[in-house]
Amino acid sequence: MGNVPPGMEGGPPANNKDKKDGEEDKPKKKRFEPRPRTTNRRRKRRTGPSGIARIPTVVPSSKCKLRLMKLERIKDFLLMEQEFIRNHEVYKPREERDQEEREKLEELRGSPMGVGTLEELIDDNHAIVSSSMGPEYYVNILSSVNQDLLEPGSSVLLHNKTMSVVGILEDDTDPMVSVMKVEKAPLESYGDIGGLEDQIQEIKEAVELPLAHPELYEDIGIKPPKGVILYGEPGTGKTLLAKAVANHTSATFLRVVGSELIQKYLGDGPKLVRELFRVADDLSPTIVFIDEIDAVGSKRYDSSSGGTREIQRTMLELLNQLDGFDERGDVKVIMATNKIESLDPALIRPGRIDRKIEFPLPDVKTKRHIFNIHTSKMTLGEDVDLEKFIMSKDDLSGADIKAVCTEAGMLALRERRMKVVQEDFVKAKEKALYRKKGNIPEGLYL
Amino acid sequence: MAPKSTEKSAATTAVTAPPPKDPKKETKDPEPELSEEDAALKERLDTCVSTLLSTETDVTTEIRLKSLDIIVDELRQATSSMTSVPKPLKFLRGHWLELKGYYNDGMLGEEDGADGVFLKARLGDVLAVLAMTMGDREERESLKFKLAASSDYKTLASLKDSRAVDDLGSWGHEFVRSLAGEIGQEYTARTLKGADPDDDEPFKDLLSMVDVIVPFHVAHHAEAEAIDLLIEVQRLKKILELKEGEGIDEKNYKRVCLYLVKTADFMSDPDDYAEILETAYELFLKQNQYHDALRIALKMGNEDAIPTLFEACPDKLMTRQMCLLLARQRINYTYEGEDEDELNEIIGNEKLSEEFLKVAQDLDVMDAKTPEDIYKSHLSETGGFSRRREGGVVVDSARANLASTYVNAFVNAGFGQDKLMTPDNDWLYKNKDHGMMAAAASLGLIQLWNVEEGLAQIDKFLYSSEEYVKAGAALAVGMLSSGVRNEADPTLALLEEHINGDSHIMKCASCTGLGIAYAGSAREDVMELLLPIVEQENSGPNTMLEVSLAGLALGMIYVGKCDDSVGGTIVQRLMEATDEELDHSHARFLVLGLGLLFLGRMEKSEAMLEAVRTIEHKISKFAVIVLETCAYAGSGNVLKVQEMLQHCAEHLEEDAEHQMAAVVGIALITMGEDVGAEMALRSFDHLLHYCELPIKRAIPLALGVLNISNPDFSVIDQLSRLSHDPDNEISQNAILAMGLTSAGTNNSRVAGLLRQLSDFYNKEAGHMFCVRIAQAMLHMSKGLMTLAPMHSDRLLTSGPSLGGVLVLIHSCLDLKTTLLDKTHYLLYYLTCAMNPRMLITVNEDLSWRPVTVRVGQAVETVGQAGKPKTITGFQTHTTPVLISTKERAELGTEEVLSVSNVLEGIVIIKDNPGYEAPEETK
Repeated sequence: MGNVPPGMEGGPPANNKDKKDGEEDKPKKKRFEPRPRTTNRRRKRRTGPSGIARIPTVVPSSKCKLRLMKLERIKDFLLMEQEFIRNHEVYKPREERDQEEREKLEELRGSPMGVGTLEELIDDNHAIVSSSMGPEYYVNILSSVNQDLLEPGSSVLLHNKTMSVVGILEDDTDPMVSVMKVEKAPLESYGDIGGLEDQIQEIKEAVELPLAHPELYEDIGIKPPKGVILYGEPGTGKTLLAKAVANHTSATFLRVVGSELIQKYLGDGPKLVRELFRVADDLSPTIVFIDEIDAVGSKRYDSSSGGTREIQRTMLELLNQLDGFDERGDVKVIMATNKIESLDPALIRPGRIDRKIEFPLPDVKTKRHIFNIHTSKMTLGEDVDLEKFIMSKDDLSGADIKAVCTEAGMLALRERRMKVVQEDFVKAKEKALYRKKGNIPEGLYL
Repeated sequence: MAPKSTEKSAATTAVTAPPPKDPKKETKDPEPELSEEDAALKERLDTCVSTLLSTETDVTTEIRLKSLDIIVDELRQATSSMTSVPKPLKFLRGHWLELKGYYNDGMLGEEDGADGVFLKARLGDVLAVLAMTMGDREERESLKFKLAASSDYKTLASLKDSRAVDDLGSWGHEFVRSLAGEIGQEYTARTLKGADPDDDEPFKDLLSMVDVIVPFHVAHHAEAEAIDLLIEVQRLKKILELKEGEGIDEKNYKRVCLYLVKTADFMSDPDDYAEILETAYELFLKQNQYHDALRIALKMGNEDAIPTLFEACPDKLMTRQMCLLLARQRINYTYEGEDEDELNEIIGNEKLSEEFLKVAQDLDVMDAKTPEDIYKSHLSETGGFSRRREGGVVVDSARANLASTYVNAFVNAGFGQDKLMTPDNDWLYKNKDHGMMAAAASLGLIQLWNVEEGLAQIDKFLYSSEEYVKAGAALAVGMLSSGVRNEADPTLALLEEHINGDSHIMKCASCTGLGIAYAGSAREDVMELLLPIVEQENSGPNTMLEVSLAGLALGMIYVGKCDDSVGGTIVQRLMEATDEELDHSHARFLVLGLGLLFLGRMEKSEAMLEAVRTIEHKISKFAVIVLETCAYAGSGNVLKVQEMLQHCAEHLEEDAEHQMAAVVGIALITMGEDVGAEMALRSFDHLLHYCELPIKRAIPLALGVLNISNPDFSVIDQLSRLSHDPDNEISQNAILAMGLTSAGTNNSRVAGLLRQLSDFYNKEAGHMFCVRIAQAMLHMSKGLMTLAPMHSDRLLTSGPSLGGVLVLIHSCLDLKTTLLDKTHYLLYYLTCAMNPRMLITVNEDLSWRPVTVRVGQAVETVGQAGKPKTITGFQTHTTPVLISTKERAELGTEEVLSVSNVLEGIVIIKDNPGYEAPEETK
């Protein structure tokens, strides 16, 4: 994911094929740049003609009797609608009517239909389309086509003779973004995190609560935080906490790694960011988790390299999406980095990222907890004294502890023992720390 | 106080949204690693509990009390986030059953004296708090313990113990909130068991609790919750009894009253509805807000309160403002007391024309407009002289002239000058018969509210030899004084003779004239004139028309008054009428007259409904629905809507008049309350989808009723689609409904759509007429007036206004025989609905005082924290300004204060005594 050239991705197949068909015999000299596509294809026309059938919004949002009664009134009306429709279904079953209408529509559409690309919308009823054959036509659009979905660049169904637009082939969101969606919740839950109570609490308040109980914030008259940044040394559980959030929430969870936002072609990175937030908005409530944000979010500086500038542009788009002109609805952002000092100050200013949560190295208590978590499934020898490791002065992060435990288990395996003994742990620790300190054996300079 | 509330807020958030992972975690590792502090805390609590429960005799009550105190302190001090259960609560969880058992054992008691009782009370408190998270919610244990505890406190008080303070608030906000919820449930449970809700005795304990909770809520800006609780226990009036200082004061009364008023709309029980409004009324009265109190009184339809209010009001400015409100609502009330002449002049709208013309001058729209200025046929694609006309299509020139007459009348309404009628009499004689009548009558609309000058102009036509001109003049006299009182009362004097005359057309015109002039006034002398006409025997084909018009006029004059003699006469006439008479196309107006009589009076119409049901004619069904929907107009009553929808469920092609009435009825019932209105739009969508033609024909009208003078984008869109329907009546109704929804707004989008329609239908005379009338409504009074019946921040519904619109709607139910036939003059009933949509700020002596105001879209602010903005997207103007429906204004300067809280119509302002001019800065 993330390294498919943009020409292949997403774009309407007919469009590209068409281009390629035309250019096949000529050697490709010019680098192929895809036609920029309008970004928010699905314009939200809330006040449009369909506005008449929408459920009214209910104020006040705080819990009170008035709200209850308003909601009940809406429910009453919906029940009446249901009753009414049921009565009429009896009179003339829906299927029958639908069948009738569908036949009518089929008739209008005619068959066979062709596939073309919408090049330009002229007015409400006319458009220019290019068919797969090559030539472009000025045609009219049937009123049965949903105008809201028509966008330049989308694939449309064409009538076989008049070439008029009779339908739309909806292509879904950018596949790059849909990959980011976490379909299966990770297994790690809050229970698997040792310590970090304050951090869990903060992230719950900042991310989960605004999505689940927005009225709490409105009661007091504040806007809930928009996003949080998790920072701290490597291996202190930033990603783990994000996984736990994903595990716990019922909101859509999108995860991205900062480096994914860096794309090969100019403008693709920012586009991906836009797409990401658009999808997030569509699927809201959503939590967007951007890991290793320093890949794109480092401080801006004058640079002559096009690559760096592109990365900076990607970040600028990110800035805009976080707190720009458009209102972000129920989208919360979690970022994680271990180099917060290198991030651009604009990125982490309040309003974009309201909460900065530090992940310190575990203290003694937490270390004990983490050791317990990791050793709880291991068969330990009787002589194992974890306290010794816990109380030692080394800077052990959560990940280090896990490494020590795993290493100890490996050593035991190597010696074909069914138990892990103290010696294994001692060796494992040395090994782990040796690796961490980068070839400088522990205690050499002490 | 503050930190404690947050502590408790933690507790109940946890109750409402228990973190789902918690129980699982506990089963996984029952003893999670505790930090040292936590372990210490747990141990402390454990010891306390064990001391408390210890059975050893050497543990004295005092010691127990001390350990309990520690628990209490821990519970109160625990601060935690909103997302998790406070630790002490968690640790005490294990002891819950023990503590409960100990409490219920009866070991605690009075034998230990005051200490024992105090211990028991204290423990009860603790258990109540614990029960909030651990107790059985069905059992309402929290409340049970708290009730027991508070009775213990009472015993303690009787023992004269100093500790007998039941401080509910100290346990924090969330505890009080959850307790309030349980009180509500308990109350309902007890009433279900048979306790009499009016009797205080069975609920004594609950009510004493309520007495504590309500002031607590009010003191903490949770007014809505206090009211909710009082509504739950059906003791809303208690809010009035709150003590000085902890009750409703000048800071929060507005929020409380707004909440009450908005809540009232959703009360299904009429008694509850009345009680809520009465409470709001009394709150306003307590705060000396007589103007607001008057608004509420008018909303309740309680006109008896007016004299009381005037008597109570010491402020002259306020009195004037109240008179202005009465004038807008068209209440026929005579003020007695100081300055009565002047005040009665205000109530009687005598200066309305003057003010209106001043506004017109200020806005520079005095120049008269011709119909062609409105049609703008040069803009339509085919141009003024279309090619089609050359094709030999005969244009119905009489109809076109008639349309021009109406356009001219509506567009120049109230300005006192126009280009067709006032310069000379040429135009009048270009018309024939009924056209002449309409032309003569149009003078009345042009001179609207200006009785003296208008009469001078019309007078000559009253003695014309031409019967139709005379009739038109009679009608004009009526329109002229619509809603305006005049001491000489020329309308009655002039029309009296004609009403008893022989001429049919004169009778019709005078009836209509009287109906328009005295709409809403409930004048008995006028009733006595009209009653004989309703009662008259059938003597020819024209009788029914006279009867119906007289009945309609009576309905307008007594709109919403439920007068017995008028109601009795009309229903009597309906019962005695022959089938032939009831088949008359205008019989519907007799029915509408009956409906208007009960407009908005809900259950008062029930006796009449029964009477109407007995009529043996198909009109009975129609009449029942019209009466019912009129009675429940603006109530939002869901059951009635359901009934109406059920009427629409039948598939009828013919004799479906009652279904049409039902569709319009749905709109009538739901109007005035946003949630219902928006949901009704959805229902109409379904009706359009599933139903037969008659129902579809009524739908544009219903959309119009819901959005009078409010050209909402989506509704206009829907109407525009319907205006191209192949069915003539649907499209005609849709066109007229477009006019209605955009009435007086000059909305350019609608103007464009109507121009297109005039092009599209230029071969069809009927459609053309409708388009012209719609255009007339759109540019009504050059955009200075509105037809909207809701005013005073959309709180009040003006009966005559709604009545006037309903006449139009009912004529549209059968356009062919009414507006497109000879009784097009029914259109003039719209005069009753016309009101200037201006905002003028005036001094004490009603002289103008321009100030800056901000005008913007109204925002619903009910139940919001702090001081929310009431308008959005505002622009700053200097008065006078025009305000459209759904817009609100607020003063843009601190220099002055307005007497009324609602800025609409004429508003009196005074200097702000606390104003300090901003210091000059460089």
